[in-house]
Amino acid sequence: MISYEMSPQQKQIKELVHWFAENEMRPISLEADRQEKVPDEWLEKVNRMGIQLNTSSFVGSARSGDTEKSAKKKEREGNRLAVIASEEMAWGDPAIALSLPGPGLGGPPVQSSGTPEQKQRFLSIFTKDKPRWGAYALTEPEAGSDASGIRTTAKKVDGGYVLNGQKIFITNGGRASWVVVFATVDRNLGRAGHRAFVVEKGTPGFRTTHLAHKMGLRANETAELLFEDCFVPAENLLGGEELYATAGNRPSGFQVAMKTFDSTRPIVAAMAVGIARAAYEYTKAIVKQEYPKHGQLYHQAVMMLADMEQEIDAARYLTWEAAWLADVGTANAKEAAMCKAVAGKMALKVCAECLELLGPEGLDGHLVEKLYRDVKVFDIFEGTNQIQHLVTARRLYAPYGVHV
Amino acid sequence: MISFQPTDEEQSFAEMALDFAIKHIRPNARLCEKERTVISDIAQKAVELGFSTLELPESWAGLELPLISQVQIWQALSYGDLAVVQGIPGAGDAASLIRLDPDAPPLQAYKDLGMGSDSWPKVAFIDVLNRERLYKSDLTLTPSGSGYVLNGTSPPVIQARTAESAAIAAVDDQGEAAVLWLNHGGWQVKEGDFRLGLLAAGLGRLSFNEYHVGAEEVIARGQAALELMKKVENRIRVLQAAKEVGLMEAALNYVVEYTAGRKAFGQEIAKFQGVSFTVADMAFETAACRHLVWRAALKVEEEPSDSLGTSLSALYRAHKAMRFVTDSAVQLLGGHGYVQEYPAEKWMRDAQAQTVLYGREKDLLMRRGEKILETAKEEIR
Repeated sequence: MISYEMSPQQKQIKELVHWFAENEMRPISLEADRQEKVPDEWLEKVNRMGIQLNTSSFVGSARSGDTEKSAKKKEREGNRLAVIASEEMAWGDPAIALSLPGPGLGGPPVQSSGTPEQKQRFLSIFTKDKPRWGAYALTEPEAGSDASGIRTTAKKVDGGYVLNGQKIFITNGGRASWVVVFATVDRNLGRAGHRAFVVEKGTPGFRTTHLAHKMGLRANETAELLFEDCFVPAENLLGGEELYATAGNRPSGFQVAMKTFDSTRPIVAAMAVGIARAAYEYTKAIVKQEYPKHGQLYHQAVMMLADMEQEIDAARYLTWEAAWLADVGTANAKEAAMCKAVAGKMALKVCAECLELLGPEGLDGHLVEKLYRDVKVFDIFEGTNQIQHLVTARRLYAPYGVHV
Repeated sequence: MISFQPTDEEQSFAEMALDFAIKHIRPNARLCEKERTVISDIAQKAVELGFSTLELPESWAGLELPLISQVQIWQALSYGDLAVVQGIPGAGDAASLIRLDPDAPPLQAYKDLGMGSDSWPKVAFIDVLNRERLYKSDLTLTPSGSGYVLNGTSPPVIQARTAESAAIAAVDDQGEAAVLWLNHGGWQVKEGDFRLGLLAAGLGRLSFNEYHVGAEEVIARGQAALELMKKVENRIRVLQAAKEVGLMEAALNYVVEYTAGRKAFGQEIAKFQGVSFTVADMAFETAACRHLVWRAALKVEEEPSDSLGTSLSALYRAHKAMRFVTDSAVQLLGGHGYVQEYPAEKWMRDAQAQTVLYGREKDLLMRRGEKILETAKEEIR
């Protein structure tokens, strides 16, 4: 049955996360942006509360075993819960949301491709005693959208691999306890040569060389990582050697990297929706309070707000659809790309229009200008808008045997 | 629970509609346009399959389907051709009026007529309730005794040319709303000179000259009329928006197939990103609209008196998206898009005519926006 109504559990999660976003995130939002850092004591506090960012099943992960058990009997709704929670988190503050402890974008590849032993070893470290992070390192200076062009090498040696190369734009890359790193065993093999490794913090030859200063998301760490003759033991090859044993139709590291996007893109889209909603609600309140109730300005505001509202709703529903498909076990690569493309673009437009409605005053200490700076990257990371177009088009043309 | 899985019943009805759209409607769309009517073969089959009675209540021998089921069926039918769908015999938009007030005495003669025959007579549905007077010839409604006197000419509406009944919602000289149902003809049909689109749908205007409307022809007056029409309009907006989604799906799929086969500069034109990215944009718009329409279909039935916003938003986005999608279809077919050997030019014309007939985009947006600022009562989310 088609329905846009949240289940009681979905509603509960939404309310819970919203409460957290409003009361814990918003109050430190502008200050964290100014400091380019989420305060350590705040992170420790929320970690003790059990709040984490886990993009494979954002809510109800290791912490809430009971919820998981009961959910198994019923219809799976982890992906829907994840996008609902992500929207609320980003509504609170996207930079802080992305800085929350947890496996982050590193979670999905470990979850989907890791051996049971690896899942246990890497995903069980996110405990209440101390905030910890995971990270995902794919992008390189010369390989962004074209992830197949990565140059970081993995040379097979006794007992493991030696990594050499550089990764950039890695969310939480510096503070992460481990990073899923994509490298190639042989560039001539193309995608088939890709491998995913879990590289642990403190591994000799692995270090953070730079933290980027950005247009927005300033409170969230974006790192450059360097691997210099960095030895990674074989047991840290994600999925183990067996995963790559027969090159033919076995999944490659490239597929591991790409598959991650099917679950992370809806999360990113949901966050973009949350940011847009935050800007819209903030602006709507000011317009209600300050604007004249008639005349040209009023009419402009009325039309802009109505337009924003339907754009936000449409993007949210596309995101829900992608998450729902994942929950019911249907391939969702096209829908994941579609919601990300629509939400990323929509959210920037909404933030820009909110700034227009606020006028020059909006530049002075208002949340919306920060949201505008924050939101731009949602149309870039986890696949640019152009890549989402490409993925969507490829899926549309696939039935006709045309590879675009 | 958030879900996008149609019920089995919805799925099979929509599949049947799609099959009819592909095998019967689409191949005859040009002929219907040329004949300026839905040819009898198609009309008859559509009636037989029950497409005239989706919205009619069971007490009228209708299927009384929920809106969420209907939107999927109208989407599938319009995949064939929007103009033909708009010309399918029956009460048309007036079916929503019947659905919401089936026992209104002025409707009973029409009911008897329809239930006693194989098909429901056509109804011209003239809703000028929210229309400001623009033209000197616009309809005027003057109270007279216990009824009214109608003068002037209606704006163009579908089904006008062969309508046997007319439903009219208007504001009288005193500023009071009224909903009327006229069964006895006596108006003049102005066939006009329509060339843009929806030409198979019987576009025309009804002209009235000192036309007396008796009390027995009045369905509702004043506040009751406004309340009734608010609900009727919500349903019509959703149903029309669903048809627009169907047209968009047709255009999108046609363009994907065409650009996958058409070659230029030694390769399929789909391989040029100027083409494939536009196609992706068409897919984004179509999917976004489908959601807004489905959402509105559910909301309108859950809260009939508090769902103005969702229906306005859905139709606004559908209008805007349909213009973009059908224009893109013509554009991507190039010269072929512009000539009548291919369906794209017709879809674009039909789309443009449809958006003009069913509410100005800016007006839809403005009305929703006023609601947003006026009160926080109706939360769409």
